[in-house]
Amino acid sequence: MANKLSKVLVANRGEIACRILRACNEAGIASVAIYASNDAKSLFVELADEAVQLSGDTIAQTYLDQQQILRIAAATGSDAIHPGFGFLSERADFAQAVGDAGIQWVGPSPAAITKMGDKMTARITMRNAGVPVIPGEEIEEIEEQAALIAIESASHRVGYPLLLKASSGGGGKGMRAVHDPSELISSAQGARREAIAAFGDGRVYIERLLTGSKHVEIQVLADRHGRTIHLGERECSVQRRHQKVFEEAPCATMTDQIRDAMGSAAVAAAQAVDYEGAGTVEFLLAPNGEFFFLEMNTRIQVEHPVTELVTGVDLVREQLRIAAGEPMSCGELMIRGHSIEVRLYAEDATNNFLPAIGKLAVFSPPEGPGVRLDSGVREGDEVTPNYDPMLAKLIVWAPSRPEALQRMRRALDEFVVLGTTTNIRFLRELCDQPEVINGTTDTTTIDRLWPNGWSSNVSQSIQSAALLVASCAEANGLQRRTSSNSNQVTSEGPVSPFTTLKRRFP
Amino acid sequence: MQNQFKSADGLVEVNLSKQGDSWLYEGQSCQILADGRLQVTTSDGSVHLARAAKVGDVWWVHLSGHTFKLERIEPGANASEEQGGLTAPMPGKVLEVMVEVGQQVSAGATLMILEAMKMEHKIVASEDGIITAINFNAGDQVEQGVTLLDLENDDE
Repeated sequence: MANKLSKVLVANRGEIACRILRACNEAGIASVAIYASNDAKSLFVELADEAVQLSGDTIAQTYLDQQQILRIAAATGSDAIHPGFGFLSERADFAQAVGDAGIQWVGPSPAAITKMGDKMTARITMRNAGVPVIPGEEIEEIEEQAALIAIESASHRVGYPLLLKASSGGGGKGMRAVHDPSELISSAQGARREAIAAFGDGRVYIERLLTGSKHVEIQVLADRHGRTIHLGERECSVQRRHQKVFEEAPCATMTDQIRDAMGSAAVAAAQAVDYEGAGTVEFLLAPNGEFFFLEMNTRIQVEHPVTELVTGVDLVREQLRIAAGEPMSCGELMIRGHSIEVRLYAEDATNNFLPAIGKLAVFSPPEGPGVRLDSGVREGDEVTPNYDPMLAKLIVWAPSRPEALQRMRRALDEFVVLGTTTNIRFLRELCDQPEVINGTTDTTTIDRLWPNGWSSNVSQSIQSAALLVASCAEANGLQRRTSSNSNQVTSEGPVSPFTTLKRRFP
Repeated sequence: MQNQFKSADGLVEVNLSKQGDSWLYEGQSCQILADGRLQVTTSDGSVHLARAAKVGDVWWVHLSGHTFKLERIEPGANASEEQGGLTAPMPGKVLEVMVEVGQQVSAGATLMILEAMKMEHKIVASEDGIITAINFNAGDQVEQGVTLLDLENDDE
């Protein structure tokens, strides 16, 4: 029943669109990008064989407009749609419409998306499949007042601290931690409001907030030939505002025994919904080795590269293979070395991680052994408030965890971005924290390390040297030189012109 | 040569002097390399290669793993003074106004909730004071940098 793919439409943008378009190119499959007018000059548009502009201004009128995307798929003769992550990737109605149009959906069945996509239904499905879930309660009430009453009543049974989560949620949206009963109602209102704005569904459920736990997730792959396997774990405990910033594989404190148990639970979860393609089953891992199902993401995930680097499996390529009806190509699970990913965000880490905008006047990523950059931007691009502020992912691989951390520090020191505030320095200083070095991070690490917000650790001498550099650059009119030479400078040769040298003289 | 910059820590005056190809400031020296990078020797003798780019009036400097944002104040221009105005950090939509004109607030109190990039952001009082003006209502779209509310210090 193999139905080889000839042309894939990528219904996404930015970094993940680039990742998928490159995979199509490598697999010899033609590709189509779709883009909103404000993305006309974006990198992913260049990487596609064909690119079609979406009409409309808002995200709802462009990347979320199912009918328009289906029309473009038909007009371009695309025989598959890859949704990436975010946007329409977990919309069962879209997966259904794609299938109905005779186009292959790169992902699981609409039924599997529905069962896992609604977080409350997923909790119930997993409980029935014998997978442990976090103590908590589903809140079925839809109307605001009734829901608030039900939440209030459930809060007494669940206990504090607790977590309010949007049933349709993801990416930290519509999620609130509540430490005190007095904050419950305003937090519930805020979570509902954010959930309605982001997902059009205000339903929020309650879970016990398990502090001191690690966020560990298992990558699964399932094909139509009867194979459902797991590819080991990723640890993504280090989060700010419930969004991951630092991810690694394997988890530093993982044992073979827990990996086997968690892997089996993840495979059972996938099989419970007849899963197909790549998916991720997320767990909270308590210090005593107990673990609980959090949710299943029925799509490729942002942090998939760390699994790719330690297992040698090209997950996006496998997605395409499975969607074409072929058996997956990977053999037995083998984990080799250690991989770390950090997410480069345009944001001000000194100001509560507020998103930042601006022009990427200089964007000069690190190079050298064991360094991978999955970027959605390039030098000269404008960072706008229209989309998610994640610019790129920096991933390193090394034979051991300490070496991977050393490599990440080196790579972050080489990374130069000027013109937009980014979290590079925050990530760099994160790598020096004892918890990160010892691998004992949990989901509260950032809040505990910097309860009053993060600020950079910079010496007086470097600060005054920066003033000297700016004055010197101003005095010599360097702004004119950099702009007129920018193309020449970036293509100078194997030595990156922006690397920082640290030499010390006795 | 004199330059004035506004950094995160306030206004700074930089008095540069020149010796041969080197520019000097507070015991540190800086030379410009042929490729546009700048080589700095700090007072402890360590040598760093820096990268600088100007966007608008702001010099962005990458040095020793740190990135600095230094706004150059044009000579003769009035250095913009810190005012009590609370400005929008991002373009976005006002979701909720939590205070009224005349209300007494303490530093850290939430004054307004703004939605930008699909996330909610709190606008908080920078100091104790009294709200003297509210310039937007819930539902209004705001541009980056506009003054959302005015807060007057108690002591005045």
